[in-house]
Amino acid sequence: MLKTLLDNDRTFRYLLVAPAVFFILLIGLYPFIKLIIASFQNISLFDDIRSFQGLLNYERLLFDDRLWHSIVRTLLFTAVALPIELVLGYLLAVLFLEKIPFKAALISIILLPTIISPIVAGATWRLMLDQRFGPVNQIISWLAGTDVKLLWTVSASLVWPAILIAEVWQWTPFMFLLLYAALSNVDREQLEAAQIDGASWWMTFRRIVLPAIMPVMFIAVLIRALDLFRVFDLVWTMTQGGPGTATETLSIYAYQMAFREFEISYSAAIAFLVIFLLTVVVVAALRRVEVSR
Amino acid sequence: MPDLHLDNIIKNYGDNQAVKGISLEVPAGEFLVLVGASGCGKSTLLRSIAGLEDISQGTITLGGRAINGLAPRERNIAMVFQSYALYPYLSVYENIAFGLRARKFAEADIDRQVHWAAELLDITRLLQNKPRELSGGERQRVAIGRAIVRDADLYLFDEPLSNLDAKLRDGMREEIKRLHERLGKTFIYVTHDQIEAMTLAERIVLLRDGRIEQAGAPLELFEQPNNQYVAGFLGSPPMNFIEVSLASGYMTLPDGQQLSTQAAVADGSYYWGVRPEHWSHDDNGSDTLQASLEVVQPTGSRSYGTFYLAGTHVIAELEAHALQWSGKRIALTVDMASTALFDTQSGERVG
Amino acid sequence: MNKRDSGLRLWLRFTIALFVTVLFAFPVYWLVAISFKSPEEVYAYPPVWFPQQFNFSSYLTLFRDGDVWAVWNSLVTAGISTVLAMLVGTLAAYSIVRFRTGGDHLSIWIISQRMIPPICVAFPIFLLYVSWNLVDTYVGLIMLYTAFNIPYVTWMMRGYIQDIPIELEQSAMIDGLTRWQVLRKVVMPMARGGLFATAVFTFIFAWNDFIFALILSKSEVVTYTVKVTGYFGSQSTFWSKISAMSVLGVLPMFVVVATMQKFIVRGVSMGAVKG
Repeated sequence: MLKTLLDNDRTFRYLLVAPAVFFILLIGLYPFIKLIIASFQNISLFDDIRSFQGLLNYERLLFDDRLWHSIVRTLLFTAVALPIELVLGYLLAVLFLEKIPFKAALISIILLPTIISPIVAGATWRLMLDQRFGPVNQIISWLAGTDVKLLWTVSASLVWPAILIAEVWQWTPFMFLLLYAALSNVDREQLEAAQIDGASWWMTFRRIVLPAIMPVMFIAVLIRALDLFRVFDLVWTMTQGGPGTATETLSIYAYQMAFREFEISYSAAIAFLVIFLLTVVVVAALRRVEVSR
Repeated sequence: MPDLHLDNIIKNYGDNQAVKGISLEVPAGEFLVLVGASGCGKSTLLRSIAGLEDISQGTITLGGRAINGLAPRERNIAMVFQSYALYPYLSVYENIAFGLRARKFAEADIDRQVHWAAELLDITRLLQNKPRELSGGERQRVAIGRAIVRDADLYLFDEPLSNLDAKLRDGMREEIKRLHERLGKTFIYVTHDQIEAMTLAERIVLLRDGRIEQAGAPLELFEQPNNQYVAGFLGSPPMNFIEVSLASGYMTLPDGQQLSTQAAVADGSYYWGVRPEHWSHDDNGSDTLQASLEVVQPTGSRSYGTFYLAGTHVIAELEAHALQWSGKRIALTVDMASTALFDTQSGERVG
Repeated sequence: MNKRDSGLRLWLRFTIALFVTVLFAFPVYWLVAISFKSPEEVYAYPPVWFPQQFNFSSYLTLFRDGDVWAVWNSLVTAGISTVLAMLVGTLAAYSIVRFRTGGDHLSIWIISQRMIPPICVAFPIFLLYVSWNLVDTYVGLIMLYTAFNIPYVTWMMRGYIQDIPIELEQSAMIDGLTRWQVLRKVVMPMARGGLFATAVFTFIFAWNDFIFALILSKSEVVTYTVKVTGYFGSQSTFWSKISAMSVLGVLPMFVVVATMQKFIVRGVSMGAVKG
């Protein structure tokens, strides 16, 4: 029975995708539908009332300052971290394009931060930034010549720089790796032809290098932007959104609403808003990638 | 050994028709070459016979059994691919044995067969190597070995020599021909190279735009082309075409030069086809035209001269030392009996 | 260009590169160093830059308190879900590549599943798991990790399978293999490198997960990431446990970076760049 099914091309192809589709429907689509339904209801974990309340939850989104602040914070963080990672990653890639002794070994070490868990990255930087035992304050003290004890993860003005440092440390190698691969693939003959034609450095970069690495850069920025937009683990380990709500990102706010305040229906509305926004962006972006291929 | 019949094969890709109703009989043991420019449907036809493409209409019969609708593995055919399709993770031995193992041959039979094929192709010493350690020519041999090791009803070759350099190609061509004589099996061979087609085929099928333009023995197609396309496709350098007008036994070229002709065709306008080898440099000939020599390409034994004649360029194959000056007006004699006339509208050969 | 390449410039570049490497490596060094410090050294002021001797007490504490079960839990959930996701995702990828199943829509839909922030679907999944009694179980986490990694596996394997010349499969079919046999005897061996690399990255994603583990584990199936964050307290913070547990969590990564050089670019870029 199975043998004949496997033998027929038409059934074979669907048999192959069936398990994947089943799993994704179960874990992807079911929660999605559940979200939509819940977002129109008024569900609370404490009493058994489930009443339909239309667009009330969505209306509440509009006037929720804490939500909008968390969105602005997340977007700002993305807008600051992404260019820094991109530029640093590019500079590193250019450096490593040249001949360097022990290149492969050095690259391996630099890549380590990118593949460790954000939780470990956060924990590591809490160790690094500890006001008393951390080496960062020690080095600053040594440079400044006086005893400096910055409260990195506690003081409201220093938490964002602290998170930014950890974020840039963890993801610059990612940018570096992708840009390094892209730059290695730039056509040598084109560069040599440009040299012979007497093109300036800037012209070579604009007309040859940039177009060549653009698709990769696009993907790298897209991947990182999506990750930054839903940043949770790193911030959670370092500050849990604190002090107060100073570092409360969109994901952390959504978590607080769902699992601390048990605002089930409202958090569903938030989630649905986020998914809707992301889907539009991702589908548009992927279409562009497919087309440019 | 079974005959192959193709009956009105049609293959559509969406709105595009790649094969437009081809019928063909291939008697057992024939070496048939499908030739044509790229996009003429020759590969599609071959892949349809193999079962790699589903045909949209028609029937393929092999030994009286309709095989369209069967999976490739149920058709008992063997095929050599242009890219050789060797498995990089298997040794040469295992590559050749692959089809036998798939058909559950006994180990002793596999060993005997693989060694027989390797012997035949002179690759015995390579049996334990991996494909990546082989040269292009050696890979080609392994690919052929993998096909012939099985006792198939039909052997298909999809441009097997086009990845080889010119010299190797000449050698392999001869070897494939010898192999066919040795095995006596039906070979169907696809190529875009007219020299390959001419040298290998017992019968050539020239395809164009999904249809058979002409089928027949190589020299038959060369000497008796049905139309201007066939005449122009076979032969290298290709046949020269000049637009001429015929009236009362005289042929007039656009520049006014005239030749007398015996062609039994109505007066009017025609394309006149002359093969390069049918020109000669002979001042005393009767059918002579004046042309100016522009470029000479010596090949050793013969030289190709490009002439400007009657507003167009014609290539003449002449004796090696006949041409040494360019920019000079020269008298070219043409062998009128070997030339052909084609209808300007339909391209059909009329005389 | 080449003339100036020798000597001074080479060493200058090397010095800069080395400095950058140290900059990126130092936090990891610090993490490892703390895990091997004695309690006195951990809380010394000014900090001890180089521990005097390897002190295993942090690790011993993890074993004594039974906290290492968290590492085991991570291993089990990540390991089994990787095998499942690889199986399901690779089959789907093959169907998508060779039969164009679902056209572009299916593959875009599958990959878009990966873009959904986990936190957005966390609560519905939590409710689903409560009703199915899957909270705090291996099965629950394994199912979740499998489902969340299938898009990645499908996407990556799609790329690797596309790189296999189709003639190899056609030749095998003519030679007498069924579709299923072609998959086993031609596609799998040809994609071996890609399979291995994808499996490793899939494992990492599951291994590094935090949100789902945080939400779906209480006491039984706690993973190492949840354990690490649990050591941060408002009153006291267990630095030695944090560092030791983190080091255990980073260990697999050392192996990956050392062995996966060839595949790492493609692995982290989701196949957008062929490495």
